[in-house]
Order: sequence, then structure tokens, then C-alpha cells
Amino acid sequence: MTFQLASEFTQVSLAHFIIFSALLFVVGLVGFFTRRNLIVMFLCTELMFQAALVAFVAFGRYWFNYSGQVFVIFILTVAAAEAALALALVVLLHRRRGSLNADDWKELREG
Amino acid sequence: MTRLQFKPGKPILAARLGTPTEGTWPQWGTPGGRMDHLDPYIACITGAFALYLLLRQGRLTSKVIGTLLGLGTLVWLVVIVNTTVVGEIQPGQQVLFLLFGAIAISSAVRLITHGRPVYSALYFVLVVLSSAGLLLLLEAEFMAFALIIVYAGAILITYMFVLMLAQQASDSDHSSDMPIYDKLAREPGAAVIVGLILAGTLVSATTLGMQDLPPPVVQSRQDKVHGELLEQLPKRFKAAVLAVSPDFPWPPAVDDDGHMVQWDRSGPFVESRVTGEAPEIVRIDPDAMPTNTQHVGWALVASFPASLEIAGVILLLAMFGAVVLARRQIEHGEDELRRSVGLDPIHPQEDPVAGEGAS
Repeated sequence: MTFQLASEFTQVSLAHFIIFSALLFVVGLVGFFTRRNLIVMFLCTELMFQAALVAFVAFGRYWFNYSGQVFVIFILTVAAAEAALALALVVLLHRRRGSLNADDWKELREG
Repeated sequence: MTRLQFKPGKPILAARLGTPTEGTWPQWGTPGGRMDHLDPYIACITGAFALYLLLRQGRLTSKVIGTLLGLGTLVWLVVIVNTTVVGEIQPGQQVLFLLFGAIAISSAVRLITHGRPVYSALYFVLVVLSSAGLLLLLEAEFMAFALIIVYAGAILITYMFVLMLAQQASDSDHSSDMPIYDKLAREPGAAVIVGLILAGTLVSATTLGMQDLPPPVVQSRQDKVHGELLEQLPKRFKAAVLAVSPDFPWPPAVDDDGHMVQWDRSGPFVESRVTGEAPEIVRIDPDAMPTNTQHVGWALVASFPASLEIAGVILLLAMFGAVVLARRQIEHGEDELRRSVGLDPIHPQEDPVAGEGAS
């Protein structure tokens, strides 16, 4: 069967969703590396969760298997737990130094 | 140049799917065909350069150039994917996909380039909303709305609260009162290079290696999944059949595969099994088939009951952890307790109400 360009450009394939989620993940990763504000760094991890979630649902739809969406529920659970704990830690750190700068805590790193 | 390929491995899922009988499986173009193999990498490099320009603290012109370059890269990637596409999900609306995808990615970029954390959080709401739109295109209605409720409704509010708590009040919009750590990106060049490597790998693997995926599920298999779940819900199944034919002799006949719900070109049907009579065929209303929410709920409690329990425990522990972490070291009332049992108070001169202010 020959390629029909007209229908090709109106349909959405698995590759579209995977590339979307790859780009979103990479943007989140770059944001995590570049931002110095602790809260924005955690927002960037949420961005990466978001990307993984779209990929899960897309693969689940491709296989017509609902486990992909079930895993999204678990991702939401982990994201909520992570947000609660991480933000509690950020509040704690902010109380100590009065700033959200991640570089204030760089003595914690090795070397 | 060697192509990146997905390892075939043992296709656990594919074994259950069988071979496709309907529809054609579009093949990727012949080598040296319409798209060169280097295209995904070049697109990633221009995208990374655009991101670098946007992250760098610079003049307006570099921001404008970065924005235009980034948008151009997105368009180019869409063309690459469209011309090397294999693996249909379903005839969808590409216009909607591109709209939601472009909104999500551009607001994600704005999130990581914006100097004010509150605006970053608001841009994240935009990312969540457009991802929910993408999930709607994937026929995952339950997850789309759960995403909006949980992410935009709950998690983002937590972020906003912490931001408001931690951020120094600043009324003016001048960038000069932004703290320096919000204005300057840390090592944008190195971060963009790491991102470039990851994006190049993922994008080229997806565009070049997608053809090695087993074919998608055909319509007959999708019908079967719906029918199997309907059989698991006996009350609903019986009601759906009896709604069409009230005198139907229950239970219906079982076909060769052991399924009661059978399919042909005009939809689902069941057959009666009364010996000595011609089987009566009752067509079930396709709207009686289980919805997405019921499928997800069934998969959740039937396939992953233990994980569901563990998820509940994780949430409970996270709640405890957050309470333990965020409270003051010495609670309000500790001194009174100590006084009442005859011990010396820890803070004898401190006002006992002062302890609860910040928590």
C-alpha cells in the first residue's frame, strides 16, 4: 500500500507521543540542572514525571492494555508523596538559611 | 551508519496479540529514502542551541532568536516524525495533538527560563492541562481528569503555598529585586549538552527504531478486550442483553475461545444455547461496553491489588514524614507538660505561644 500523505498528516502515531514525552523530559532535566531555586528544581522533577506519564499512557493505548494507565495512578501517588516530603524539606532548609538557593547547601556535596 | 534498534527480546505482550489481520502496517521508507538518518540529530542540536539561548541571561535579540529557533525545531521534528511514521495509535486529530504538544513544550521551556518561581508554577499548570488534553486524545479520560485534579488541584497548591511562605514579598515587577539565584542559570551550556545527548538518543531511537516494534493491536483484539471485561461484570452484562431481548434464555452460549460476547462486522452479539432450537442472536448495544474508567478500575483492583495497598501506605508515610519534617523541634505545650510533671521548662523565659508561628 502506498503512503497517503493526506492521511499521514492527520493521524497521530505512537512516535508522536514518545517524542513529545522525550522532549518534555529533556526540558525538565535541563531545568533541574540549570535552576538554582530549590522549589523550581522540584517543579522540574514534576515535569519529568509528567513526561513519563504521557509515555505510559501512549504505550498502553498502543497495546490496548490498561496497565499503562494503572501505572500512571502509581506515578501520581509517588509524585504526591515526593512533593509532600520534598517541600517539607525545602521549608526546613529555608528556615535555616532564609533563602531558597540550592548553592547555599553546596558544602553537603562530596569533595 | 548503524541504526539504533529496539531489542526484539521476548515479546510477552505480542504473544497475546497474535498477528494483525486487519489494516496495513506502514513500513518505514527505504534506506536513503525521504529522510536522512542524521535529521533527528541535527534537529536536536538546533533545539539545544535554542534552549541555550533562552537560558542564557542575555539581550532581547538572543531570546527572540532562541524562541524562533525552538519553534522551528519543533516544526521540523513534526515533519521528521510524520514522514518516518510507523505504528498507528488510532486515527486522531493531529491538529489537536500539535496544539497541545506545542503548548506543553513551550510552557515547559518558559517554566525553566522564567525568573519568578510563582510564574514557573503557573506555567506548570499549563503543562498539566495540555498533557491532560493529550491523554484525552489517547482515550484515557479518567487519567486526564485525575491528572488535572491531583496535579493542578493538589500538588500545585502545595507548591504555591510553599512558594508564598518562602518567597520574600515583592510588589514591583522589576527584575532587580529578584534574588540572584533566580536570575542566573547555573551552567546552561553543560546542562544543554547533557539534554542534547539524551534528546538525540531518544528522538533518533524513536524515529529510526519504531519500525522494530511489533504491530499495534488490531480492532478485533480491542473488541475482545471490551467483551472480556463485560463478561467479568455479570450484572451489567445481563442487563445489557436483557435490555435488548427480555426473554433471552440466560446464560448465553460460549464460542470456541470460551467467550460469551462475540463480534462480527456489525458489532457485539450473544447467542442463546437452548438445545433443539435455532440459536437466537441478540445484538448488544455498543454503548453498553465498559468505559475507560471501568477498564482502569478493573485493571487496578484485579491486576495490581498489592500495589494499590502499597501506594496507600506510601501516601500515609509521606504524610507522616511531612508532618515530622515540617514541625518545630519543640512543640508548643512541651514546657507546660514538663512543668506539670515537675521538670524544668526547656525555654523558661520564652513566650509559650511563640512556638507555633511558622508551622
